[in-house]
Amino acid sequence: MPKLSIVLFASTLLCGSLFAAEAGMPQLDPKYWASQSFWLIIIFLSIYLLIDRIFIPKIKGNIDTREDKIRKDLEEAKIFKEEAEKKLKMYKELIDAAKIDSKKVLSESRQKLNEDIQIKKTNIQKEIEKETQKAEDEIKKLKTESLNKINLVSEDIVSSLLKEIFGEDGNKSSIKATVSEVVKQQKVKKT
Amino acid sequence: MATNPMHQFQVYKIGPEIEISGVNLSFTNASLFMLISAALVTLLLLLGTREKKLVPSKIQLISEMLYNFIAKMISDTAGKKAKPFFPFIFSLFIFILFCNMVGMLPYSFTVTSHIIVTLTFAIFIFIGVTILGFVIHGFKYLKIFVPSGVPIVLLPIITIIEIISYLSRPISLSVRLFANMMAGHTMLKVFGGFVISLGIVGGWLPLSFSVALTGLEILVAFLQAYVFAILTCIYLNDALNLHH
Repeated sequence: MPKLSIVLFASTLLCGSLFAAEAGMPQLDPKYWASQSFWLIIIFLSIYLLIDRIFIPKIKGNIDTREDKIRKDLEEAKIFKEEAEKKLKMYKELIDAAKIDSKKVLSESRQKLNEDIQIKKTNIQKEIEKETQKAEDEIKKLKTESLNKINLVSEDIVSSLLKEIFGEDGNKSSIKATVSEVVKQQKVKKT
Repeated sequence: MATNPMHQFQVYKIGPEIEISGVNLSFTNASLFMLISAALVTLLLLLGTREKKLVPSKIQLISEMLYNFIAKMISDTAGKKAKPFFPFIFSLFIFILFCNMVGMLPYSFTVTSHIIVTLTFAIFIFIGVTILGFVIHGFKYLKIFVPSGVPIVLLPIITIIEIISYLSRPISLSVRLFANMMAGHTMLKVFGGFVISLGIVGGWLPLSFSVALTGLEILVAFLQAYVFAILTCIYLNDALNLHH
């Protein structure tokens, strides 16, 4: 900028004839120097005092109250946030506990059910075995009984046959022996 | 006469001649425009601080942005110790800014385009900073002329250079602002004169230059106020925190 001013100075000097200049710069005329300094000091001092005493405290107060408000609001928001986070944590813990509880209940009931089923199964198994045993026994009994009966019936038939054929009763003990012999033979044959 | 680009810097008295013990202290057009700038600053700050809204209105926002802008500038360049000087820097910046900006209005007078005005500021700052340095650091403040880490052989030369640079501070500070404002306004006036002298046929080129220059000058008006304030901060920093 100073260089520019020098160039400009030169150009204005060159243009001097064109503009029919008043000589030189009015700035260098000392006639009103004292006046300018004097009024500058008075006016600047008064505006300095105005700004220092009135305006700056006002602006500063305003800015400070705003910053205070913002800080307070932020702090409040922080507290609310913390509370909300706490609540959320509590809620999560509750849910976790509930989940664990439900799992426990579920597994417990399942185990209980399994045990129940097992017990019932074994009971039924036992009963079935018992029943089977009983049935088998009965069958065995029936078998032997029926066999005996068959023997008796065969003996009867044989004795009645003998009676019909020979007209007299056969020897009962020999008939019995023969029948049992035949039955045994039949059994052997079958097997 | 009106086409003389230096005519706009002419100072003339308004009202009666005031003379106190042989010194002419008349109220001039320069004083009038200082007063106008000060009144505009007051008006802006008055409107900006009239309401205390939590969510600021536009004008309130402007004053608060100005406050924050200067507060940041001071804390960045001069640190925490410079806080008591905040009102001074604030006033300095905003007053110079308004003087520069008011000067951009056509037919107005640019207060800061006068070397005596900027020199008054600069000398006041120079003396103030020097006194402050001596009050805070005593005679140790003279260390500012003796940078550390310089070879002994070079020390006398460096010290002389430092003293010269320190003493030329008020001149560089004042001439920077004054020359920028004067050059800009002279240039605007010269191009304005070309528009008239070249007429309807050739005047369009200097007119477009004038428009562009006006934009540039508004930027310079802000920039020079900022530079003036920040250099004041840097000088303050030198006095408050002795680095050398």
